[in-house]
Amino acid sequence: MILLHHVLSIFLFEFSVLQMPQVRFTYALKRFFPHLQDGRIDASSLMETLHHVDRQYPGLKSYILDEQGRLRKHVQIYLDGEPIRDRETLGDPIGPETEIYLMQALSGG
Amino acid sequence: MQSESHSHFSSEELARYSRHIIIPEFGLAGQQALKNARVLIIGSGGLGSPSLLYLAAAGVGHIGIVDFDTVDDSNLQRQVLFTTEDIGKSKAYQAQQRLQALNPHIDITVHELRLDSQNARELIRGYDVVADGTDNFPTRYLVNDACVLEDRVNVYASIFQFEGQVSVFNYLYPDGTRGPNYRDIFPEPPPPGLVPNCSEGGVLGVLPGIIGSMQALEVIKVITGVGEPLAGKLFLFDAASFHTRFLKIRKNEALTINELIDYQQFCGLDKPELPVPEITVQELDNWRKNGVDFQLIDVREPYEFAIAEIGGELMPVGQISSFLPFISTDRKVVIHCRSGVRSARAIRELQNLQPFDNLYNLKGGIIAWSQEIDQQIPQY
Repeated sequence: MILLHHVLSIFLFEFSVLQMPQVRFTYALKRFFPHLQDGRIDASSLMETLHHVDRQYPGLKSYILDEQGRLRKHVQIYLDGEPIRDRETLGDPIGPETEIYLMQALSGG
Repeated sequence: MQSESHSHFSSEELARYSRHIIIPEFGLAGQQALKNARVLIIGSGGLGSPSLLYLAAAGVGHIGIVDFDTVDDSNLQRQVLFTTEDIGKSKAYQAQQRLQALNPHIDITVHELRLDSQNARELIRGYDVVADGTDNFPTRYLVNDACVLEDRVNVYASIFQFEGQVSVFNYLYPDGTRGPNYRDIFPEPPPPGLVPNCSEGGVLGVLPGIIGSMQALEVIKVITGVGEPLAGKLFLFDAASFHTRFLKIRKNEALTINELIDYQQFCGLDKPELPVPEITVQELDNWRKNGVDFQLIDVREPYEFAIAEIGGELMPVGQISSFLPFISTDRKVVIHCRSGVRSARAIRELQNLQPFDNLYNLKGGIIAWSQEIDQQIPQY
């Protein structure tokens, strides 16, 4: 019975983790944040997600957002492959299974 | 985009292009479209090298090459158009010579100039398709805007370290409408210094080979009408993980491009940077020999430090503010990087955080130290 409870707890924990939005980063961001890794974040909004990510990788939020909290013009955020619409306040809704992809312009040739 | 005009193929040309011509979807019509096409390649570096080689080999009838640069030894790890003997010579003319040897049936025009707002539109107007393989944001926005104003397709590619991007901008759909352009993804460039280029951050040599070949592929598809061009989508390639991704580009109808502007100013590169105090490598050498008490800080990345170092404390420029408590205020501090650019930036950032008056930039960086003081220190 204890074993069953234990297995059930692990399953429920893993299921709850899988129900969190997944954040992925373009490789080029590792230039300034070398330890950057994709992962799931327990957040219900895009801004909350960035707060969490910034705690893990200090400075990342200010790289992505300007002083007024708007998305910088050389950065893009995609939600399940679609570019966000609200670059001013990042109000695009996210769900528990949303893939959030952060990428930026490259200039090399 | 297949042209109605016809020219004749010689028996040599038919033999040369036979592997194209026997593809049913491609055929003689596709080859004829290539022969009739005029393609302008902007930049003959990492991306330009493979795209030029493949477009010349494929039989694009008229190729223009825009490049004002000369071949440098640090180019040869990826710019496969050039050889060791080309070092110091004009890239555009060396490229022309190599491509003409590869395919004598095509015409190649060299535009050995720096593309700017005065010459871009007229130059682009003379070609059907443009391929942007430049290495800086001002020229990327200039090429984009000039292509929009001149109704030309811009086959775009860019690279950094392990990552590449490809798209077809301003594509002409059969209904006469134009597809999204670069500004629909990135309306404005990053502030100066926020996105490093390949000379600062490096690039895996084979990456432009892959991405530049994709660029050539898209040029061929646009010209011949064969296949589905990468319009309205941005393709991303991560060579480190082999992950690929297509991102949708939404056209911003509110965005209009009416004229070319000052792109240096647009990218924040027109403002002269405040000078910082400097010392030469000879002065630094004398300080060391005379036992002057100073702190030496190296603001390069750890992997650069592993290649060559001159005894500095490693504090990478990207995290310089976090090292503030470790920077002396009661003695001279010399800050260096590879060539002196990043260390000057680090000094400006530190001076913004705290009123330092004891920071000195090492002029010419570790490269100058290697050239003038200690040739045992490797240059990279």
